[in-house]
Amino acid sequence: MSVIKRIFGLVWAAMGLGIIPLVIMRAMQEIAEKPTEENWIFWSIVIVVLMPIISFSLITFGIFALKGEYNTLAN
Amino acid sequence: MAQNVTNVAQTEEVTSTRRVIAASSVGTLIEWYDFYIFGTLAKIISEQFFPKDNPTAALLATLATFAAGFVIRPFGALFFGRLGDLIGRKYTFLVTLVIMGGSTFAIGLVPGFKVIGFAAPAIVFALRLLQGLALGGEYGGAATYVAEHSPEGKRGFWTSFIQTTATLGLFLALGVILIVRQTLGIEVFNDWGWRIPFILSVFLVGISIFIRMKMSESPLFAKMKKEGKTSANPLAESFQKKDNLKMVLVALLGATAGQGVVWYTGQFYALSFLQNACNIEFVQSNMIISIALLIGTPFFIVFGSLSDKIGRKWIMMLGMLVAVIAYRPIYTVMYSEANLKLKEEIVEKTEKKEKFEVKGADSLITAVTTKEFTDGTKYKETVKKKFPVDPEKKAAMPKDKLKPETKKEVTLPQDLFYKMIGLVLIQVIFVTMVYGPIAAFLVEIFPTRIRYTSMSLPYHIGNGVFGGLVPLISTRLVEFTRPAPGAPPADPLFGLWYPIIIAAICFVIGTLYISNKTNNLDTE
Repeated sequence: MSVIKRIFGLVWAAMGLGIIPLVIMRAMQEIAEKPTEENWIFWSIVIVVLMPIISFSLITFGIFALKGEYNTLAN
Repeated sequence: MAQNVTNVAQTEEVTSTRRVIAASSVGTLIEWYDFYIFGTLAKIISEQFFPKDNPTAALLATLATFAAGFVIRPFGALFFGRLGDLIGRKYTFLVTLVIMGGSTFAIGLVPGFKVIGFAAPAIVFALRLLQGLALGGEYGGAATYVAEHSPEGKRGFWTSFIQTTATLGLFLALGVILIVRQTLGIEVFNDWGWRIPFILSVFLVGISIFIRMKMSESPLFAKMKKEGKTSANPLAESFQKKDNLKMVLVALLGATAGQGVVWYTGQFYALSFLQNACNIEFVQSNMIISIALLIGTPFFIVFGSLSDKIGRKWIMMLGMLVAVIAYRPIYTVMYSEANLKLKEEIVEKTEKKEKFEVKGADSLITAVTTKEFTDGTKYKETVKKKFPVDPEKKAAMPKDKLKPETKKEVTLPQDLFYKMIGLVLIQVIFVTMVYGPIAAFLVEIFPTRIRYTSMSLPYHIGNGVFGGLVPLISTRLVEFTRPAPGAPPADPLFGLWYPIIIAAICFVIGTLYISNKTNNLDTE
């Protein structure tokens, strides 16, 4: 189980890192195609609020998991 | 004799715990009520406070304000959480109640855009932020306060009463809005009657403050304070110490994020889907949600209590798993039951009426079409065209300003109405599974000295940010499937992918990294 938790740690960290370019590229593409107020508001909320929370938490959590910090279950 | 003394002591303890729960729950319920009347009246608020030139922008602006109310919640969690760990639970969540009540009351008094221009949305935005800030501080305080009064082995049960308040707050908000709307009539309600639910809040908050003033401090916190063991810097202790940060992250990614999206999908997104994708008439759609919430609410206590016996983890994980699996099938049925293309129209009952009016310099044509279907479904379509009487001015107007305003209303027959209640109720049960045990789970994984701060942040990021953004992100995802502007979306269920993916990830993380063991609360 500990090995699985560590391997998944890599997955979470990679996921957290991967989200950043993916979201930024999609936002740039959408805003370039349709530079409306709605698009700006939506992508600003995603990039400024949601993405940093998801990325930071997944990367940090992933690193902890990879290091075996969660080998004893959280309780 | 000794037996009698023991019985009296036990009865007093139960009465005292009940008083604690009642006082905490009533205040938290009112805070949720305050918070949700804004969201429920989003459309009217957008018309009152945001420029009408672009209705979509106006609605989005309101949604952004709505999101701002959610996004600010983690900051409230940090600010008031720190205060709660420094000076105590009782006074902190009394302050949050005053701020929430005051800002809700003030929203009801702000003059509209027509009267004070851009100051109106600016003031409403600021008040909404205050609401978010107050809510961020309230929940953690109430949950911590009740948990620290609860006997061991009953914490899931006692804190589950706090868990019912969010749903009951939404129920109360919907109920008050429906009653005021029905009493005043739609036109008066849309004009000024919508202010009443906001103004009413001041009385509810007043009562709650009176009750809370009489409560004593949490026994665990009082003991710690007396012994001088409280934290000097709860923020640093919560998030700079690796051992605690680890818990904050696992609580967020393994529990609260999934809980947040399941909560908002089962209640808010379901209402928005009924009204916007299924075009179910306003009163009927609100009735569907209200009845499902009322029937489903006791299950918070059922699952909270069950978590004392079998552990918190697997109830929450099962709730997320069934939500992930069942959302698409449930919404497919909801959509098809209201889809007029799948119904047989009684052609001879179709009626069309057209009215022409001149209002000042404008002409207004109102066309109303009513249809009936063999299964008893009724449909009403109102198309309003407004244009200047002067043909030259009409010709000079941009095309999008001449676009008619269309309102579609589907009224379901009784059997389908009950079926819809059942489908929403299933989602509410998922909500009760993930949400019922979560307060007990959160209070148990953090130490008393930094509990308020530590549990509030993951809760409000999960519930407020991940959950609160469900309407905005899901609506946007559906827009991706629209082949052309104004055309119907190719996949009206596409918006569900956001809660499904978040809940699925959360399920995997929770299953792998969270323990099913329940802990005693420490006093260190």
